[in-house]
Amino acid sequence: MSGADVSWRPGGCHCGDVRFEVMTAETVEAQTCNCSVCAKTGFIHVIVPDSRFRITKGAERLTTYTFNTHTARHTFCSTCGVKAFYRPRSNPDGWSINARCLDDTAGLEITVEPFDGRNWELHADTLAHLSQEAS
Amino acid sequence: MTRLTGACHCGAFTAAFDTVDPAALQVRACQCGFCRRQGARTVSDPAGHLRLAFADSATRRYRFAGRSADFLICQGCGDYMAAVMDGVAVLNIVAADIGAFADRKPEPMVYDSETPEEKRARRLARWTPVTLEVRP
Repeated sequence: MSGADVSWRPGGCHCGDVRFEVMTAETVEAQTCNCSVCAKTGFIHVIVPDSRFRITKGAERLTTYTFNTHTARHTFCSTCGVKAFYRPRSNPDGWSINARCLDDTAGLEITVEPFDGRNWELHADTLAHLSQEAS
Repeated sequence: MTRLTGACHCGAFTAAFDTVDPAALQVRACQCGFCRRQGARTVSDPAGHLRLAFADSATRRYRFAGRSADFLICQGCGDYMAAVMDGVAVLNIVAADIGAFADRKPEPMVYDSETPEEKRARRLARWTPVTLEVRP
């Protein structure tokens, strides 16, 4: 990811307590997931390296939910419950941002592919590259 | 009556929805900022009945905009389960993971132009009579 089309884009939860910024190109690769937790919110995953995401407001307002292997850290706003981003099990060194929570997707070309999270072990390695820092 | 049951991800908040014909119900995708971020799809049946069971201490009653309904959010897992107002409610079938509606295409709904009175009247006419089983 390089060039002039890369920029920091803001987003947040519904009530405004939690705000973030994510650096993306104008063309974004995203995933939906059919696992037990993602299916309950229709989370649209934009997975980025650690350096391309920052919480700009309300880190102290986040509640963390874990289950099963307790690797993924599912964070949501304590006030409105919105899951704007989290640390995914597939990419614990990076972040997954919920495209539903970007303030503005104008000018973004988001390609959404289904990820078979119900059979996570069979497919997780296809996502690992998404959180690798550019060398 | 058919009874459809569901729960949030952590299981602390449960729902039991009694309705005559699930296939006849409209599946709605409200386009407001809250429902879009929650990925919510709702159903209701004024001739049915909804029972919601949750712990008061583990459930957030989120209000916004006109503050006319409580949006019930499990504080354990964050799932938005239902909205309630004056004895009626809508159930978020996505968070409750109710399979009977899994293949249904939702209808986008926009309520932005409603007055508070119109909003209240619509909810009283369309939402489901609800019983809340609230634990401490």
